[in-house]
Amino acid sequence: MFTELNVFKIAYSMATHAGKRQALVSQNIANADTPGYHAKDIKPFKEVYAAGPRPGDMVASRGSHLNGNKGSQMDWAVTTSDTGADPNDNSVSIETEILNGVEVKRQHDRALAIYKSSMNILRTSIGRS
Amino acid sequence: MSEFANSLSVTASGLKAQATRLRHVSENISNADTPGYRRKSVPFEAARDLENDVERVKTGRVSLDRSDLENIYDPSHPLSDESGHYEGSNVDLMIEIADAREAQRSYDANLKMFEQARGMSSSLMNLLRK
Repeated sequence: MFTELNVFKIAYSMATHAGKRQALVSQNIANADTPGYHAKDIKPFKEVYAAGPRPGDMVASRGSHLNGNKGSQMDWAVTTSDTGADPNDNSVSIETEILNGVEVKRQHDRALAIYKSSMNILRTSIGRS
Repeated sequence: MSEFANSLSVTASGLKAQATRLRHVSENISNADTPGYRRKSVPFEAARDLENDVERVKTGRVSLDRSDLENIYDPSHPLSDESGHYEGSNVDLMIEIADAREAQRSYDANLKMFEQARGMSSSLMNLLRK
């Protein structure tokens, strides 16, 4: 029963997804006034998780590798939007990014809450509270 | 964890760039009446960090506005020529105020993201408590 704890794995990927997305949202906001910068994002967690691990993909085994997945085998491919570009070819909208940021925060909190409550169940099962 | 570190460092670069921009705006405003002063502007550039796969923002070389200086008629001014004119600055206060507003807006957004990333990493650390 305790060899394959799926709920922890899901919560872990969910938190990882939120972390990666947070990094991209921060990057977009920092570059909100950089000419020629296009907003970046990753797929929603639902899609990424439904697609499952992708064993056929390239794996980035060190930091300088440009493409490929790091660590878990999920599809964390970064997509770049180019809609609604400003006159200086920048496509970041601060409002959208703040909204994405709130979404990310909620998702991260949810993942941590799931992780913590599952951990509490495990703790209770070994007689500690 | 390194994603949070990336997030914090990229936000810090954004804060620094916006602060530099705001500094140049205030320089322009304070020199709006200096004769012969040319407006300074600072370009933003994306600085790619291949090791961590993030794009930080950095400020490039300061450039001076090459548009014509304002010709002001004031015969009593010590710098005025035979026709009674002297060259003022080419700072437009309206543009500077608008630029300052935009810089502040972006600064606030960056600060919000910084706080959020910090909050997320500290709530992750809270899992280890108890």
